[in-house]
Amino acid sequence: MTLARRKLLQLIGLLGVPSVFLLVFFLCPLVIMLIYSGLTPGLYGGVDWVFSHLNYGRILGWADTRYEKFDPVYLAIFLRSLRLAALTVLASLLISYPAAFWISRMRPARRDFAIFLVTLPFFVSLIVRLFAWVLILRPTGFLNQGLMGLGLTSAPVEFLYTDFAVILGMTYVFIPFMFLPLYGSLEKLDMTQIEASADLGASRLQTFRKVVLPATLPGIIGGSIITFIPALGNFIVPSVLGGAKVLMIGNLIEQQFLSARNWPFGSALAMLVMTAVLVLLVVQLRLARREGMS
Amino acid sequence: MKPTHLALTSALVLAPMAGAAQETLSLYNWGDYINPEVLDAFTEETGIAVTLDTYGSNEEMLAKIQAGATGYDIVFPSVHMHDILFQLGLLAKTDIGQAPGFENIDPQFIRAKTDPEAEYCLPYAWGNVGIVYNKALAGEISSWEEFFALGSEGQKITVLDDLRETIGIGLIMTGSPVNSTDPAEVEAAADYIVDHLQGVTAFTYDSVPQVISGDVAAAHWYVGANIFVADNSDTIAYVIPEEGATLYQEDMCVLTSAPNPEAAKKFLEFYLRPEIAALNVKQQMNGTPNIPAQDLIPEEIASNPTIYPPQEVIDRLQIFEDLGRDLQLYNTEWTRIKTAQ
Repeated sequence: MTLARRKLLQLIGLLGVPSVFLLVFFLCPLVIMLIYSGLTPGLYGGVDWVFSHLNYGRILGWADTRYEKFDPVYLAIFLRSLRLAALTVLASLLISYPAAFWISRMRPARRDFAIFLVTLPFFVSLIVRLFAWVLILRPTGFLNQGLMGLGLTSAPVEFLYTDFAVILGMTYVFIPFMFLPLYGSLEKLDMTQIEASADLGASRLQTFRKVVLPATLPGIIGGSIITFIPALGNFIVPSVLGGAKVLMIGNLIEQQFLSARNWPFGSALAMLVMTAVLVLLVVQLRLARREGMS
Repeated sequence: MKPTHLALTSALVLAPMAGAAQETLSLYNWGDYINPEVLDAFTEETGIAVTLDTYGSNEEMLAKIQAGATGYDIVFPSVHMHDILFQLGLLAKTDIGQAPGFENIDPQFIRAKTDPEAEYCLPYAWGNVGIVYNKALAGEISSWEEFFALGSEGQKITVLDDLRETIGIGLIMTGSPVNSTDPAEVEAAADYIVDHLQGVTAFTYDSVPQVISGDVAAAHWYVGANIFVADNSDTIAYVIPEEGATLYQEDMCVLTSAPNPEAAKKFLEFYLRPEIAALNVKQQMNGTPNIPAQDLIPEEIASNPTIYPPQEVIDRLQIFEDLGRDLQLYNTEWTRIKTAQ
């Protein structure tokens, strides 16, 4: 009895703080957003407490009033955001994986310094760093001057205000998010297994596919998810480097809450993003469970 | 010499004493929208320390105040936002219209419909939104038509990332008022913009440096571009387009939640003085509604027809009004414009 009670108290003690934290900072905002997404916009922002299904109707196809009209453009923007976020994940992975592998094999002192370097950009404001990219990418910027100086191009190439600039900027911003989980799983990689694989006659590619990749898969999935989620909702990078022309779902949501003063529609769009993220997390859980069973 | 000397000495002597129970005043203003020397002069005279926070749009400010941000005494809304703040009950009565010195203010600038006697806010500054262009790339341009023609000739241009301003150009070009609430007119205006997007590389506020560097030939921007024109007069110029343009005006308002309403009222009265309004214009290079101040500002600003245009040009400028629910018409069209390319 006392033991069971102590166990229960321990459990409450352990789970209490995270539960309250999740309730206050995750569930409550989510519920507010869910409720708002079914209301009518207030005249000057906020909401009127009148039920409306039209916010979803605008996105999914049944709204047709003076102010709320269905337009496939919202889904198109969402699909574009998914694509840009996925490409960001891919680019971050391709850069971070070899880098993390290399750093995880360094001597401890150098390794710590290298990890410090990876996190160094966080010390400078994101906005400042993005404007630095504007200076690099613009037609008279360093990149174009370099390319023309080397004779590789004869006229400035359009880098700024393109999809490319947005993916580049987001990759730059989110690389540490990808790098750290990857590093975590690569560091634990057992070098003797690689040696064993080589001894048994596997080629380098086979060793990578059959030994290294499966061992680091949790890191890849974890890194991909925590890169994908903020990339999907990002609005600063597309606004600065995409010239607000490469419109992503985050920009659209920001527009609803600020200049358009339509909080319910913004909430409905945000719910769309949340649903996509939840689906992704469920898929990841399934993958992880299958991993655990095999 | 002597009086200044005395003032300086007494300021030095008195400053530590004032510090004991120092009054404060907290401003919430657009970025770079007040000359810091004005704030210094106010502190020097009254001993009230001034803090300044900034915002990037009327909506951002409104959203913050609505979300319950307190601690701000004075905000600087545009006229239509002045009306909204009033309707939401966020403005404190100051009776600034009765204050000595209010006769300095040109009555045509008391524009807010909800505040016709200036019982709440003080008209602060005004200007227009036109075109800043790179002379070498764009040549001399004087109209929206020539601005968009640059785009179709393969040059690069930018427009503001602001749904009212940019659709506003479309309304001007299709002959509708900039406060139109007719869905067909708003759609036609958006169509005009969509049809002229060729060459528009970005919707952005950060355009003047790119016009100076030649990355873009011309940009839809504010009269404040004159600050940059003054330093780069060989490279760039600013023009109010012939077809007409929009006019903006901000008012200085005290919030009901102001922690220091008396200091705020003092600041409004301080700003009624012609020499203080002129001090602000000297750095901001925009329009002041303070009539005697206009005689105190530097000649090159007073005689600049883009800052103080002749009456027939002023007559072609339109100011935004609050549209209420009809803003949603613009919202839908704006998304269409931004995804058109």
